Amino acid sequence: MANTEKKKLKLDIVKYRYVWLGFSALLLIPCIIAVLFLTITQPNHAPLKLGIDFTGGTILQYSIDKKLSTDDISKMREDLAKIGIKSPVIQATTQMSTEGDKEAKNLVSIRTIFLGDKKGQETVDKTTNLISSEFSGAQLVQVNSVGPTLGSELLKNTMIALVLAFVAMVVYISFRFHTEYGWIALLALIHDALIVVGVFAIKGIFFDTAIDSLFITAILTVIGYSINDTIVVFDRIRENMRFLAKKKSTNEIIDISVNQTLARSVNTSATTLFTLFALYFFGGSTIKDFVLAIIIGVAIGTYSSIFVAGTTLAIVKEHMNKKQHA
Amino acid sequence: MRNKLILFWIIMAITLAGIFIIYKKPTSLGLDLVGGSRLMLEAQTSDAVPKITPEIMDSLQYAIENRVNAMGVGETIVQRVGLKRLLVEIPNITDTSKAKEFIGQTAQLEFKRPILGENGEIAWESTGLTGKDLKKSLVGSTPATGEWMVELEFNAQGAQKFSDLTKELTGKQMAIFFNGKLQSAPRVNEQITGGRAQITGGEGGFEYTEAKEMVDLLNAGALPVGAEVIQEESVGPTLGLDSINKSKVAGIVGVSAVMLFMILYYRVLGLISCFALLIYCILNFAIFKIIPVTLTLTGIAGFILSIGMAIDANILIFERTKEELKMGRSLYTAINSGFDRAFTSIFDSNVSTIMTCLILYYFGASMVKGFALTLIIGVCLSMFSAITVTKNFMHLIFGSNELKYPQLFGLKKEDIENTFVAQETKREKAKFGVLD
Repeated sequence: MANTEKKKLKLDIVKYRYVWLGFSALLLIPCIIAVLFLTITQPNHAPLKLGIDFTGGTILQYSIDKKLSTDDISKMREDLAKIGIKSPVIQATTQMSTEGDKEAKNLVSIRTIFLGDKKGQETVDKTTNLISSEFSGAQLVQVNSVGPTLGSELLKNTMIALVLAFVAMVVYISFRFHTEYGWIALLALIHDALIVVGVFAIKGIFFDTAIDSLFITAILTVIGYSINDTIVVFDRIRENMRFLAKKKSTNEIIDISVNQTLARSVNTSATTLFTLFALYFFGGSTIKDFVLAIIIGVAIGTYSSIFVAGTTLAIVKEHMNKKQHA
Repeated sequence: MRNKLILFWIIMAITLAGIFIIYKKPTSLGLDLVGGSRLMLEAQTSDAVPKITPEIMDSLQYAIENRVNAMGVGETIVQRVGLKRLLVEIPNITDTSKAKEFIGQTAQLEFKRPILGENGEIAWESTGLTGKDLKKSLVGSTPATGEWMVELEFNAQGAQKFSDLTKELTGKQMAIFFNGKLQSAPRVNEQITGGRAQITGGEGGFEYTEAKEMVDLLNAGALPVGAEVIQEESVGPTLGLDSINKSKVAGIVGVSAVMLFMILYYRVLGLISCFALLIYCILNFAIFKIIPVTLTLTGIAGFILSIGMAIDANILIFERTKEELKMGRSLYTAINSGFDRAFTSIFDSNVSTIMTCLILYYFGASMVKGFALTLIIGVCLSMFSAITVTKNFMHLIFGSNELKYPQLFGLKKEDIENTFVAQETKREKAKFGVLD
């Protein structure tokens, strides 16, 4: 019995704990560097490039017939400066159409200061005239404006929501399990959130990707999801502690528990990732970054529940045992 | 067994009811899917109105509602957000400049009397008779020339004021100002007591639209305070349609991929979970229509994500059941104990998801709220579908039979009775029906 047991173990979680944690560290380092880089270099000292949701501003999106070259964009920038739009962020994207007979759509979005008020409206009209005169088939397809005061308010609410979510998770787990489980779950959550934030910080540096309130939603979803995985593992450890505590060491129990839940963790992530990838590749274009953030988070959340939560618990328990014996 | 059959038919009845509801009730789609504009207005304080009270917001909302409805563009929504904001949703209109102009316009009607200005020319002085004294106004046409004009009907107080004013100004000019602009200055021939007056459009007369807009603004009432646009979102109808199509494709691809995976990995159990998932989707949509939930792009994303999470409960249960089978349990006990043991995990993890969703719902912007709402509905419903539907199907199909074909569960024969043995208390044994 004991032999077959060993053979069936697929992963030595506790034995190679520093390998697993090392891999996490490897992922975390570039993320932390990117976040620090943005925090230091950005004038508002935000760890990510903030979108209009948080800074206030207006994004005008036009669909045009032609695919924009870099020359077109710099010419557009000059022309926009003439009508009083200073240093706009211009992004051109191409989008596949869902209807097969139509050609791919070219979109250009222009980010400016807040133009939602009466004075701004003139500038919007001027811009639309400018774009239509320069490109055939130009059409204003989407307008988004957020006033500056509303922006800072959203940012504040977002921060409150994030902190509340973290606190709620720790309190809930500490209530259902032991306190040390709560802190370890928090650690795993910060690990997951930091990697998602880091990836978008890197995207921000290289592709000017700015985050909106949907990104925060993604982070919160990831927190909720990743805590799911961690809870399932902890639940199993708790159950096995009850039945096997006299026969096996803590480390063995953790190993067994993680392996028992392995199929579930992987399969659940797989099914969730199927739906997410479907959304990413076939879903609406405006939620692409949102879905990407959740995809990264779900993948990392699964990794952390398998390789970070259990190993950290083993290290903490070892430490606690030593203290007890000393 | 009989109870199980009854439950089965109850589930079927609910599902049929769900299909009926989906078929009968229309889906309400959000602005990002049908195209349209969403404006967030904030009431502005001024010297005259230093504090925004709920009463002021009431009359502001009423005035804005009237104005938006007067645009006649279908189902518009004007909603209070917080203490001094209004959310205005206007479907089908994407050029917000017109809408904003119309909504933000004040409608100040004033009757003025002539006085002699400093340099000898005629100036106009307020008389105290304003748009507030109106009962209603209509578009009419002059009998003689057929020109468009605006007919005014005063309330009792206004009629009295108007009568006094016309008496005072008999033989003189009286000026009518709309939004600070002189509209007409007719000569008063005699005292008018009926409480009615007309505004004609000066030399060329009014255009019909001009008269109509003035009437709409007057009937809607003046805004008690200024309202500034602080947030604006508009989505063109083609982009909206595109988003609907894409979401449909994404949903179908996502669900198919999940089902295929489940069948390949869990075989018969997987097939059961597919049916449970189908019922889950039907009931979920039915709930969306009953509440009703306005579907937005992010709402759909929440729903599709919840499919992935709904299957999680099934996976937990199947994995647990397989483990119990490996221990050599009979099918019946394995299913029961599998469910029982998976339950704490399912419950704890769903509670944590619901908690984050509640936080999102409370603090999030409207886009975020849609996502949180559909995810909450999904998570709650998935508990029902996994625990009631899946379990019922498993019992009905396998009954109390022995496990003859482990392959049906994705198990190998040699796996059976070849694993860790968990120990149970007597109570648990009794509960699962274990006979040792």
